[in-house]
Amino acid sequence: MTNRNKKECVAMLLAGGQGTRLGVLTRDVAKPAVPFGGKYRIIDFPLSNCVNSGIDTVGVLTQYQPFELNQYIGNGQPWDLDRLSGGVYVLPPYMRGKSGEWYKGTANAIYQNIMFIDRFDPEYVLILSGDHIYKMDYDEMLSAHKEKKADCTIAVIDVPIEQASRFGIMNTKEDGKIYEFEEKPKKPKSTNASMGIYIFNWKVLREYLIADEMDKESENDFGKNIIPNMLNDGKVLYAYQFSGYWKDVGTVSSLWESNMDLLNPESGINLNDVTWKIYARNSAEPPHFASQFADIRNSIVSEGANVSGKVVNSIISHSAYVGKDAEIYDSVVLPGAQVLDGAKIHHAIIAEGAVIEKNAIVGETQTAPVKGEWQIALVGPMARVKEGEKILPGQMVEEGK
Amino acid sequence: MNNVMGVIFASDNEARLTDLTIHRTTASLPFCGRYRLIDFTLSNFVNSGITKIALVTRSNYSSLMDHIRMGRDWDLNRKNDGISVFPPFVLNSSREMYKGKVEALYSIQGFIRSGREEYVLMSNGNIAMNIDLDKVFKKHIETGADVTMLTHKEMTGTSRRLVVERDNSDRVIDMYLSETPQPEEREVGLNVYLVKKAKLLGLVDYAYARGYFDFEKDVLTKRAGELKIYAYHVEEYAAIVDDIKSFYKENMNLLDSDNRNKLFYGHGVIFTKVKDSVPTIYKEGAQVTNSLIADGCIINGKVENSILFRGVVVEKGAIVSNSIIMENGMIMENASVNYAITDKDVTINPGRTIGGYETYPMVIAKGKKV
Repeated sequence: MTNRNKKECVAMLLAGGQGTRLGVLTRDVAKPAVPFGGKYRIIDFPLSNCVNSGIDTVGVLTQYQPFELNQYIGNGQPWDLDRLSGGVYVLPPYMRGKSGEWYKGTANAIYQNIMFIDRFDPEYVLILSGDHIYKMDYDEMLSAHKEKKADCTIAVIDVPIEQASRFGIMNTKEDGKIYEFEEKPKKPKSTNASMGIYIFNWKVLREYLIADEMDKESENDFGKNIIPNMLNDGKVLYAYQFSGYWKDVGTVSSLWESNMDLLNPESGINLNDVTWKIYARNSAEPPHFASQFADIRNSIVSEGANVSGKVVNSIISHSAYVGKDAEIYDSVVLPGAQVLDGAKIHHAIIAEGAVIEKNAIVGETQTAPVKGEWQIALVGPMARVKEGEKILPGQMVEEGK
Repeated sequence: MNNVMGVIFASDNEARLTDLTIHRTTASLPFCGRYRLIDFTLSNFVNSGITKIALVTRSNYSSLMDHIRMGRDWDLNRKNDGISVFPPFVLNSSREMYKGKVEALYSIQGFIRSGREEYVLMSNGNIAMNIDLDKVFKKHIETGADVTMLTHKEMTGTSRRLVVERDNSDRVIDMYLSETPQPEEREVGLNVYLVKKAKLLGLVDYAYARGYFDFEKDVLTKRAGELKIYAYHVEEYAAIVDDIKSFYKENMNLLDSDNRNKLFYGHGVIFTKVKDSVPTIYKEGAQVTNSLIADGCIINGKVENSILFRGVVVEKGAIVSNSIIMENGMIMENASVNYAITDKDVTINPGRTIGGYETYPMVIAKGKKV
């Protein structure tokens, strides 16, 4: 009997990371659920890319603070992923028989869901991670994968040579065939950084996952174990060159930077693109209001926001409030945050529901990053900065502390 | 409110909205930056637990169908119940489009009869409010009324209003239709009625058999004496939009935070069709004050006392004041727009100046280039 659920390609989105480098932003939510760009969350990017690429079956692997992510994804309707067959599935670790354990690594997370993938009997599996901002047509990558008759295709992006040692680097022949993979090399031989996006032939990957699970020494990681093992065995691995905007938003500084990139037309990330929409769960708020005292320039403001102060080079997310005489420069104000009258915000992220009381000062203007990191002041979700209080650059404020 | 079904009339008084309703029903009139008028009635129904809804259209209903689709944005894509859209019904006997609510109700009596609900709440689709209709239902039961009608106080204009006089117990003792402005506020009907299903079908049958078609005029006022009609006074924010003047005024009223809070953060959430627009971008030349701005706009000019719908572009040096610019409006460089309502997809070319007056805003029809 034919499998009526059969899919050519199933996407598996690794959303399990704790995201410790995002500090208080991920205290209560998984990293992919962190808000971005005024009305989005990070996970909207890979999910929208999947749908826009014609992939309608997505497993979201999650094990850390799953409630908000679960609620956000819901039945997948905002991304058009509420399908009769396929759609979006949230996949937490579960017990089978007498055993059951947390996802030990990226490969193990997929290993634990072999049965899920098998149900769709796919030819290919697309592995994605939930912490990157980019727009990419996975279907083009899949075409390249088929054309090269590869066992595995890895998306790579050209990074500046001085940054190359922070990434997994793919050394390739001229036609893109990978002969060597180096994880964070001290002396990088090339600048092809892995984007953490893989397409595997499911049959091949399935074998490697099972073998990897048997190997007690393994860290059960794609970059450290699966890819090197496949290379050693002479499997056919190709790099797929991606040239658009791509940013890992795993740190407070890079998350801030990526938000700021939305304000810069030169940055290459254009969300106002009807051919490649980024979908998000809608907050059902009325249009935003700029009062008679508002002065907003070079900024992004989303629905439900209420602005009476000065906003320059900043992102004001939905339902946020900016009081009279408040000044916000080069900052990201997340949904529902309140910046009360006269508060001054510079180079900061004000998280969901945080309150900056009157005349408080958060952060300072900066001209350049220090050792590649911007010193962003971060006020955590629901935290309060008291009236007149001063928060230093790079300082983190947590609720109740 | 499991025992109540909803009926919404999409068309009422189109004639008075001239250019704005050439392409659409009153119910699908764009409102407050990202809504259409019907969103309020639909959201009120859903937020009050009414999930079996008939939407009766008369003409130009394609924009309405496009807006409603399967009703998903209001959570009305149900296996049971949900929203049923009734395209215009041509009565076989006369081969004419139905006239008035009586004929409309007559044409959907099969739908009304088939529901398990015992009560029908019917409403026009052009009322902006956010109230708990469950309270209306409770009062209806309490008073034992035949008909409970929603009323509120307003300064009436030249639009038709059903003026209501009630006694201390809110029983309606007299009512009459009026199109003459009066110097003081009057208690008028909001065109929302709660009636027991069997009673409604009886009233419709009676009126239809006698060739009557106007529910307010031929049924309510004529039979006010014999029917037990109660008024439910709406304290909350409520607005009927049925001419250009009220359309302009009611939109502009929402620049007042107080009114906006009442309408949008009242009893429930107001839902609308989700369009996945990006947030609005303010450029270096933006100067925006006292305005409501929907998502997807790009602003590089001056905007004051105005409402911009989704996807509006205001170029450098352009000035938009006291105006309503609907979806995808394009105000090009150094153009100036004052006291105007521009419909969807209107372009104002560079340097052009257009405008009307507060009491008579200029209306520019859909898709026009100035």
